[in-house]
Amino acid sequence: MVGLINAVPPENLEDFKNVFVFIELRNGELSRPGLEMIGAGLNIARKANEKLVGIIIGDNLEKLADEAGSYGCDIVLGAEGKDLKEFRTMPYSHIIGEFINEFKPNILLIPATRNGRDLASRVAVKSKAGVTADCTELDIDLNGRILLAKRPTYGESTLAEILCRRHRPQMATARPGIFKIPEKEEGRTFQKDIRKMQIPEEMMGKEIIEFIPKKSLDLTAAKIVVSGGLGLSKPQGFAVLESLANEIGGVVGASRPTVDLGWIERDHQVGQTGQSVRPDLYIAAGISGKIQHIMGMKLSKNIISINTDPNAEINQYSDYIINDDLYKAVPALTEEIRRRKEAKK
Amino acid sequence: MVLEIVVMIKQVPDSQEVVIDPVTFTLNRSAARNVINPADENAIEAALRIKDKVGAHITVITMGPPFAESALIDCMSRGVDDAVLVSDRAFAGADTYPTGLTLAACIKKLGKYDIIFAGEESTDSSTGHVGPGVAEFLGTDQASYTSESWYDNGFVYAKRELEDGTEVVKMKPPTLITVLTNANDPRRATLRMKIDATKKGIKTMTLADLGMPPEWVGLKGSPTVVKSMKAIDEKKREGKKFKLEEIPKLVDELIEKKIISI
Repeated sequence: MVGLINAVPPENLEDFKNVFVFIELRNGELSRPGLEMIGAGLNIARKANEKLVGIIIGDNLEKLADEAGSYGCDIVLGAEGKDLKEFRTMPYSHIIGEFINEFKPNILLIPATRNGRDLASRVAVKSKAGVTADCTELDIDLNGRILLAKRPTYGESTLAEILCRRHRPQMATARPGIFKIPEKEEGRTFQKDIRKMQIPEEMMGKEIIEFIPKKSLDLTAAKIVVSGGLGLSKPQGFAVLESLANEIGGVVGASRPTVDLGWIERDHQVGQTGQSVRPDLYIAAGISGKIQHIMGMKLSKNIISINTDPNAEINQYSDYIINDDLYKAVPALTEEIRRRKEAKK
Repeated sequence: MVLEIVVMIKQVPDSQEVVIDPVTFTLNRSAARNVINPADENAIEAALRIKDKVGAHITVITMGPPFAESALIDCMSRGVDDAVLVSDRAFAGADTYPTGLTLAACIKKLGKYDIIFAGEESTDSSTGHVGPGVAEFLGTDQASYTSESWYDNGFVYAKRELEDGTEVVKMKPPTLITVLTNANDPRRATLRMKIDATKKGIKTMTLADLGMPPEWVGLKGSPTVVKSMKAIDEKKREGKKFKLEEIPKLVDELIEKKIISI
């Protein structure tokens, strides 16, 4: 615990070196968002001619450390222990805090997953650092080795560039699904520093008494999303969208009102209080385009709007517009794609 | 001994009333009314449910301008016992570090606390950093992104909703819990309680009450600075119209542009 103390900047910024990334594990494997941090960190480290240091915390880390090395880490720093198998805020933030004290990173990147944000908030206060949340662009200004952290704000309408000039490490969490995972290169040389850790009982914090895995729908990973709104006029309408999604290789999304009415599960919801998606193709059927929905899908590469209202707000954000009854247009689209597939066979 | 609960809330512009400026594509927030941040309403409700079940004394706190009083009165009208507005010109421009520090200092001043609640994040800055930051300042444990929480026999339990499943955790108080938007259905104020709450009124704390130097808080105490704000370049959308009978043409174009593959 840091106590009630202000963010005193360090005296000598030159002492802080290299780019550190936290490679989050999931189910005992390097997670996708974790590997993406290697990608984000490598760009910066190479540009600044600094080392990329990957931090992993868990149990049985030898093989995972080798894997992290093959993805591009120059040094893999590990904290290993039976009690560290699962993510817990107290021990994980303590360990990263200790690493920061010992190695003095210039930059520390953490994936903006739920556990990543949970951890980063706490580490930032612990090490009196500045942290920028949920970044989508990261770069470095070589003059002073300042991290240029950009994040969408005000509902994805504005890109804010945030700097931390006097505090170290310069921390950021980075949005999953944005940064590229680097190519794996077997046999790369790298250093490994895995430490066995015994965390005192009183520092462990919460006890995880149960974990209920879910087959949750990750809309953000889908290349095509077929979403429905109140224009469906009945819950059964989602079945029509599902047929199209199955045919076109997509997943079903939904506007918030349809979720609130109980027509579909909440994990299908796109928008400000749901998931933000940016697929190759977003099909909005019977969605008028309230701002909360637009915020969650307007970065899609291509957008088709199907709506009986020629003045629907969403049409302003659409590449293609079918101004007709969705119960005619969606099955026609499904049928057309099915026909093409048949013809190709 | 009665359970002491603190709920941290924030007022934000009502996103239902925020409109996108068609020229700059930025949000026009000036027209919007200020409301309690949606996730914070769920945090209030989570605290009230513990009070309903096992009894508790709830204090709601916010750092903000004087007009945030209305939000605090609203919370008291739902069943919150006391409210504190932490307000001082010196707090202006704070990033998440001094905001957490200021709120933690206020909570310490209040005395005993068993559970601290906050919303998962605010709709206007969406960092989710302040809640866990307060936990670090106070040295308490934390459970973020929770859909449900309860108190039983000296322990605090919570369900954390993660990307790949639900984690049920057991914690010793004091601890801090952040609550997901839509985690529950927040109750509304009644007129009777609104009258009582207005009569009771709120307490106010200033920087002097917290006993911290001015350079610790607000803009001066913030490690980060916003260098620039730019409207995100919106892709110009053509809005090409297709009639029902032209759907084959649309599919041709989607395939040709490699938007879909058959």
